[in-house]
Amino acid sequence: MARKLEVGQALDPFVIDSVDPEPMKVMAAILDDPNPIHFDVEATKALGMGDHPVNQGPTNVTWLLESVQRFAGGPDKVRAFSVRFLGNVFGGDRFEVTGEVTAVDDAAGEAELALSATSGGRPALGGTARIALD
Amino acid sequence: MSDYSHLRGHRFPGGTYTLPAHICWLWTDAAKLTPDPRIAHPGLIYLVAIRGAGVSIQDIFDLMDATADSGVVFGEYKADIHGTLRPDATYECEGEVISVERKSGRRAGVFDKLSFQVTIREQGGSDPVAVTTNDWIFPRKGEEA
Repeated sequence: MARKLEVGQALDPFVIDSVDPEPMKVMAAILDDPNPIHFDVEATKALGMGDHPVNQGPTNVTWLLESVQRFAGGPDKVRAFSVRFLGNVFGGDRFEVTGEVTAVDDAAGEAELALSATSGGRPALGGTARIALD
Repeated sequence: MSDYSHLRGHRFPGGTYTLPAHICWLWTDAAKLTPDPRIAHPGLIYLVAIRGAGVSIQDIFDLMDATADSGVVFGEYKADIHGTLRPDATYECEGEVISVERKSGRRAGVFDKLSFQVTIREQGGSDPVAVTTNDWIFPRKGEEA
């Protein structure tokens, strides 16, 4: 039976209380990402980006998608997403994803979500997702 | 002024990528989430696309004559998803550059936006599991718009 959603219905906020710099090194290795802003604070300082490493974009997207799949009821319910990167997420930041239902198409069995994420109180991500209702 | 618009249509080598179960676990754990041994987190679509397309991040930097410390950042990332990824499953990928545009912004200054698309299919399957589009921003400090 298809789930009933309403426009304006909010997703439960997804929160990382303090972004841990250590896993950024694991992600740099997995991604084979040579950009030192993710693991060498001297690089972020040299670029005028402050004295904390920058979290990888794919990790930030993973958190946004985690918020979506929890709301949707599993990874198999996520049909599409689009994410804009609005700002950096730094080690030590509080990261939070919020969102709400913006459209429901019962005939198609899908709903649209609007999403946003802040990091340290600054805009970090904006985006949309489409989920299945059943 | 350097012009990279000729890269439009540049095809990545493509190929197959087997998504290792341990990478699924490490990725999810690094994100402070609980790994699922049956279904890979949809965040891993990004990794499968890059690996399967046969390019490294450094390869893409090289295409754009950028260095690892030149401040390259993501602009936008989207995907149409038609199925879930599974640990230890093998995926066939093909990808290409779909545009390179020179732009400027008050905050970002002059930059090039590179867009590339990758289609992911499970090995032997005909329908895509996902089609992803990535926009990367390459700062061009000191260059003209």
